[in-house]
Amino acid sequence: MNVTTPLERLLAERDDLWRGRRRRPGNALATGRAALDRRLPDGGWPRGKLVELLPERFGAGELDLLLPCLAELTRRERPVLFIAPPMVPCPQSLARAGLDLTRLLIVREQKHAFWAAEQCLKSGLCGAVVAWPHGDKSNTVSDRAVRRLQLAAENGDAPVFLCYAPGSTPPASLASLRLAIRCGGHIEILRSRGGETTGAIRLHADNVVPLVPGSARA
Amino acid sequence: MPAGALWTGIICPQGALQAVLRLLPAMAPETPMALHDTASGRARIIEINQAARARGVHPGQALADALAIAPDLESLPRDRKAEARLLEELAMIAYRYSHQVAITGDGVVLETGGSRRLHGDLDAMLGALEEELSTMGLHASLGTAPVPAAACLLARTGQHVTAVETLRGTLSGWPLRRLALAPAELQKLDGLGLKSVRDVLALPRFERERRLGRTLNRYLDQIHGREQTPLVYWQPPETFCQLLELPVPTIRSEALLFALNRVLEHLHQWLRVRDRALSGIEIELLPEDRRPKIELSAGLGQPGFQRDRLLEILRLKLESTRLSSAIASLRVRADSSIEQRPPQADLWTGTNVNDAWPALIDRLVARIGEDGLCSIAPCPDHRPEKAWTWTAPGTTTTGADTPPRPNWLLPEPRPCRTGELRLIDGPERIEAGWWDGQDCRRDYWTAHDRHGNRLWVFREYKPRDGWFVHGLFG
Repeated sequence: MNVTTPLERLLAERDDLWRGRRRRPGNALATGRAALDRRLPDGGWPRGKLVELLPERFGAGELDLLLPCLAELTRRERPVLFIAPPMVPCPQSLARAGLDLTRLLIVREQKHAFWAAEQCLKSGLCGAVVAWPHGDKSNTVSDRAVRRLQLAAENGDAPVFLCYAPGSTPPASLASLRLAIRCGGHIEILRSRGGETTGAIRLHADNVVPLVPGSARA
Repeated sequence: MPAGALWTGIICPQGALQAVLRLLPAMAPETPMALHDTASGRARIIEINQAARARGVHPGQALADALAIAPDLESLPRDRKAEARLLEELAMIAYRYSHQVAITGDGVVLETGGSRRLHGDLDAMLGALEEELSTMGLHASLGTAPVPAAACLLARTGQHVTAVETLRGTLSGWPLRRLALAPAELQKLDGLGLKSVRDVLALPRFERERRLGRTLNRYLDQIHGREQTPLVYWQPPETFCQLLELPVPTIRSEALLFALNRVLEHLHQWLRVRDRALSGIEIELLPEDRRPKIELSAGLGQPGFQRDRLLEILRLKLESTRLSSAIASLRVRADSSIEQRPPQADLWTGTNVNDAWPALIDRLVARIGEDGLCSIAPCPDHRPEKAWTWTAPGTTTTGADTPPRPNWLLPEPRPCRTGELRLIDGPERIEAGWWDGQDCRRDYWTAHDRHGNRLWVFREYKPRDGWFVHGLFG
């Protein structure tokens, strides 16, 4: 008889029990996927922090991963900023996911990208920033730019997602969360400050919990 | 003359000097400043500041003499356009207190009797007016009289008189040179041995008219309130257009911003007087050597007037504009203005999110440009490559419901090999475009490649034959 599982469940049910690794669900936005929320240290996408996404190949599922949260933000009239997306985000698909397109701003060039992100975050209005940093010739993203974004994220109250191009070398991580996205929608938490790293989490389309307005954790 | 009418005159002592100095960045008060005018080939000092007076410079002196006395004297040429603008500015401020405002030669008169009750009493009203003038950086003096012609005279001495009898008593003791008379006329009166207003009034009316002409009699009647003063009432202009010549041509954007700030002040007054909200302004920078002018325009997502926000937008615009030669003058036009509506704050949070969002867009657009920052909108077209468009930031349209689309579209469909694909879902037949000559017939499929990525591919039959990738799910 396997006794670990019931004990684990019993302990998990108790709110008054402090268990090393677990943290209070902090200042986070629900990801829209219960399976993922449980694994993230704050119980969702951390506000005011940098989240790094390393897709195995472009389009491995990074937008699918973010869309439920972004859609919820735009429904609450919080603008979402896309910085230098490498392809055209399809408006029909975004609208189908529930994103309010009037609240989506797209900065098409890399040139003013970081300035724009800073301004947005500083305004206190911004819901989230999703950036696709371009590497230089050797495909390395400068850690200065990333550091700058992280500082801006701390000033704002919004999560900043960085989607590195497949094959690029991300700088030494400053982020509190780094996720790898494998083809077929598997997610692996590579680094999680105050949380645990995991093996692959499978996210299916049917795994998505539709967010009702107001259900997201404040 | 209607009973209870009261006129207040505003004049700027040393208005010509003030008008010019307003265009320059602030100078230390100990700098001796003067203004000279060229008449019959000779430059003469006309107005000076306190520091210059201390050095022994006085008005009427030849410029060369003044410079010999005070070599560090900064003398500027007279600028009649700037003087006219200063009077306009005074009138604009005065218009907020009365609808009867007129520009008289060197000052502005406004009817204050009718607006007295609105502001409590005359003193409170004049206090408010004085405060507003000083916040605009104008040194002005006010005077009140029951007749408009006398109001400007009393403004010079800063007296306030409400009854006609008192006015007559005050004026009778005045020396004649205080009246606004032509120098030739003053000389003639002086030659007759007449020194004060009382002396002139002591003469029989008929004799005065025979010897000195009808004009003097009429003027005396006007200032004593026996005759109506003809006034041309000033009206605020319908559109705002101001040409500002910079005292020194400059290439520095801070200096341009300083000048623009001055214009914005004027613009703000104009908007307030006309009760309008600003939705955009256009600025032309005119270089000194007749090079092509540089045009800037700044739109405001949310109509209104916040000087800080507007200045920041202009700063961003100027920073991104390359100035190749010095700018000699600039023209500001605000023809797109709409009716003013007071800003509304959110009832629950008290913060004005509705206002902050357009402000953020304005700031971003000012730096990045219309092309760099946008939103995306669906277009009513069946061909996926034509079913989306970039739109102005913060605007979009709603599209008709379509079958599921991938999250990412390739800018152009790319040919692909079918050997590596596994078709999962489809086909969706799209056959459209016969009306614009770009007709196509395609079958769209969802496919997996060998890595497990979900792709959006199509088999095209027309105009080309083959397989193409058009998008990526994920």
